[in-house]
Amino acid sequence: MAKKTYDLLFKLLLIGDSGVGKTSILFRFSDDAFTSTFISTIGIDFKIKTVELRGKKIKLQIWDTAGQERFHTITTSYYRGAMGIMLVYDVTDERSFENIVKWLRNIDEHANEDVEKMILGNKCDIDGKRAVNKDRGEAIAREYGVPFLETSAKANTNIDKAFNDLATAILDKYAGKEPGDAPDRVMVDPRRGDTSRRSCC
Amino acid sequence: MTALTQSVPDMEALIKDGSNKSALTCLHCPSRILNASVGTYVEKEFSLPAMTKLKSQTDTENHVLKDFWKVSDMFHFENVGFSHTADGVKYLTCADCEMGPIGWHDLQTKENFVALCRVKNS
Repeated sequence: MAKKTYDLLFKLLLIGDSGVGKTSILFRFSDDAFTSTFISTIGIDFKIKTVELRGKKIKLQIWDTAGQERFHTITTSYYRGAMGIMLVYDVTDERSFENIVKWLRNIDEHANEDVEKMILGNKCDIDGKRAVNKDRGEAIAREYGVPFLETSAKANTNIDKAFNDLATAILDKYAGKEPGDAPDRVMVDPRRGDTSRRSCC
Repeated sequence: MTALTQSVPDMEALIKDGSNKSALTCLHCPSRILNASVGTYVEKEFSLPAMTKLKSQTDTENHVLKDFWKVSDMFHFENVGFSHTADGVKYLTCADCEMGPIGWHDLQTKENFVALCRVKNS
């Protein structure tokens, strides 16, 4: 059967230190009651998700580093073909935040230069143990010109928005760049990020 | 390892023109796996590890299944997860709740097979 069931295909990567919750961003319900012991033993390689943006059906193929980051073996082959990268740190882990700059350099060295990036401060549902304030996340995102969101995979805060925003940024780039439209989405606007619509963080 | 054969009751009602009459969703969450008419019904014997096991069990049971929806291209799925390679295949899971295996991906032919009895067919 050769019928085409989608318009566009975007390859996305999740990057960041071990333990920042990349896997739970990819599989956000994995803490729930239903867990398959067999599947969690062998682990997940990648997942395909379908989103609809501006009337286009887009397939997202999302890859997790699967622990490669521990051995600093994330190189060109992992980045090959990537159109979008989620850079994830843990708001309760200072070091994972400091390493975001290191990951940005790694991306510069190995990934396609026009890859779309987004910084995510994950685990923002954990109030008591926060080590990195939201404004520090916003500041670094502004400095590097990368959009920023605080997320909670556990509370399902901003996860869908993160993937939609990143996919939209890629779509804008490939859709002929409507003037005056894309910059609004690509640049960080802290005022907009602070709206109380989803005020978990 | 026990091998059980599972079959699907009233299968004819699920098939229209050789394809899945309705969209496929996960048995455990609302995640949509495949749109209607995208899969092709095939009869094929394949042994899939059980989706769940009792805490007291150490081995994963295998179930011999016969009824599958074949999906020729992985990007024809709406939402699906692929496991790391094990036993020479990649197992398919729900993309949202991670329940599985709901089927397998053949590394040689790149074809995908979803077990009728491991998804909601309506």
